[in-house]
Amino acid sequence: MILQFVLAMIATASFAVLFCVPKDQFLFSSLTGALGWIGYLIFCGLGCGTVTASLLATFFLTIVSRFFAAVRKNPVTLYLMTSIFTLVPGAGIYYTSYYFIIDDMASFAAKGIETFKIAGAIAVGIIFGFSIPQSVFRWRSKG
Amino acid sequence: MSDSKKILALAVEIGDVLLRNGGEIYRVEDTILHVLDAYGVAEYDVYVLSNGIFASANEQKEDACSIVRHVPLGDVHLGRIAAVNQLSREISAGECDVAEAWKRLDSCKAIPVERPVVQNICCGVGCACFCTIFGGGPLDAFFSFLLGFFLQFLRLRQQEHGTSKFLTNIAGSAFLTASSLALLKMGLPVLQDKIVIGSIVPLLPGIALTTSIRDLFGGDYLSGAIHLLDALLTAMCIALGVGMVMILYRDLTGGVIML
Repeated sequence: MILQFVLAMIATASFAVLFCVPKDQFLFSSLTGALGWIGYLIFCGLGCGTVTASLLATFFLTIVSRFFAAVRKNPVTLYLMTSIFTLVPGAGIYYTSYYFIIDDMASFAAKGIETFKIAGAIAVGIIFGFSIPQSVFRWRSKG
Repeated sequence: MSDSKKILALAVEIGDVLLRNGGEIYRVEDTILHVLDAYGVAEYDVYVLSNGIFASANEQKEDACSIVRHVPLGDVHLGRIAAVNQLSREISAGECDVAEAWKRLDSCKAIPVERPVVQNICCGVGCACFCTIFGGGPLDAFFSFLLGFFLQFLRLRQQEHGTSKFLTNIAGSAFLTASSLALLKMGLPVLQDKIVIGSIVPLLPGIALTTSIRDLFGGDYLSGAIHLLDALLTAMCIALGVGMVMILYRDLTGGVIML
């Protein structure tokens, strides 16, 4: 679990370099990504399916990004965009086309729908995360 | 040039920088309005799309002016967004006059991207880490690093030549799949699927998806739809690249890859 956390942090930090995040925000960007991924693993471990876990993890990740954005007085995009990559269903896209090629239509449909569901879950997670009023985070940053 | 024209030009230019580097519509609109407010322009209208800005000020007065700006979808540079955000904060607080703001804006625009070598290495490291957390072993991570390194190299080269984004994504994912299959064919004990999944991450439309959701959530349906379409097409291009190589592999070797 600790190894996963560290690896997710390094992964997000390297992507932060690609998107030119200011150097003093690297730590916070990568922390957000790592927390999102660990959140996903924990929710999966609690018995959630991949879709539910993605939703909850994205929700959690959005809250963390907004919290950092309020504390560090930076646009929330800085943290959210770089860290969402741990949750985007790349594996889903890959397996969907794989099953399509080997003519396993049942698995193809299942994977394809799951990928769409995960994308939708990420969307819903972000929307829920942004539905929390900004005042909550302002209060936190003062305290 | 009248004062209101100068102020409007500054505000739109600030919005342009934000939009070009990947800011959300809501932020761009908000920033332009704040700048206009801060410099005392009372009447204005601003309409921002994901690839254009339309703004007018003092429509009913002597010094009426308007600006239409086309902003092509570009690469994300979050450092510039953060810097411009800081600038607009200071303008709102009245700590920065128009001439000063122009100078600051120019320095924001001049924030460089990382050197290509650094980008390549970072992309490789990121891919290797993603490969590991998605279930790959050390050997898979090593090859992911190499593939990620070359993937970014490829992307930078294609950027220079102005190749279309679709082609870049198809070629990129095809390259990854082909290389990983070649490794497998060489008889190396690699998890071919984990290598591809790890190194495909830089191509994924994570940013387009996030931006589109935030635009839609902010009520900017048109911009949200543009980004959503971008995300969907990118995903399909990746699937297409992977699929084409797999079909080729199947037809050439007569066998399919087993997971």
